[in-house]
Amino acid sequence: MSLQYLKEAVAVGDTEKLIRYVRLHLGDGNEAAGRKEIDKAWVEALKLLLDVPETDREFILKTLAERDAATLAHLFFHLHFYLVQRSGEWIHDGTL
Amino acid sequence: MTAHSDETKQLRPGLWETVNERYPGSMITKDDFVPLAPLRKPLSESRLTFVSSAGVQPKGTMPFDVGHPVGDYSFRRVPSTSNPSDLEIHQIKYPTHGAVNDLNVIFPIERWQELAAESVIGGLTPNFFSFIGYNMDSERLERTLAEDIAEAVVADGADVALLAPA
Repeated sequence: MSLQYLKEAVAVGDTEKLIRYVRLHLGDGNEAAGRKEIDKAWVEALKLLLDVPETDREFILKTLAERDAATLAHLFFHLHFYLVQRSGEWIHDGTL
Repeated sequence: MTAHSDETKQLRPGLWETVNERYPGSMITKDDFVPLAPLRKPLSESRLTFVSSAGVQPKGTMPFDVGHPVGDYSFRRVPSTSNPSDLEIHQIKYPTHGAVNDLNVIFPIERWQELAAESVIGGLTPNFFSFIGYNMDSERLERTLAEDIAEAVVADGADVALLAPA
């Protein structure tokens, strides 16, 4: 899918095309795999917080307050890959 | 690519149609016919450069952004004198296991060094060039990344550029 294809989807509010693209990206071209990958990242994030460990909220709030939205969106994708890698089930052919 | 009387001279006629068939919306079209460049002097007198989409880069350089949903439009210079152990791969869209064991299977830097030492080719440019092929903005890919690499290739004094997709 080209960038133009995605921008046209944004223009007409076709979110189904957009989320399909995200699933394909995260699933290496396999939409079902991508859906599972998204779930896997959320499950991993939840597992890390179940024992309510001390976290650096100051860092989180400072980052959210001071960084631009595009950088945070970029970070969101990085966090996805960080969490799926941490899960131990790596479906991708290569390495980050 | 539109029909052209000299289309058969292209290395992969019909490639774009295949891409668009498999990935709907990837409307990468080329109306311009780009003729193949003839070799201007014997290979044994030519300085060769290598351009690869394998995501190979010197250790310690900024990793390619393989997670970005729209791609990474930067490239890395890979010194042609590098030892494979000086290099690493950042790429998640093709199997890298074999290349991690022996980089030459995807980025045959030692083979080029040997061919230059044996004078089969005239020499190597100071750098080779690498990027990742997962890029959704074909216009930006062509207007920036491809042109940036082309300029770097010319600046390095290449007579021959070998392009290899990963």
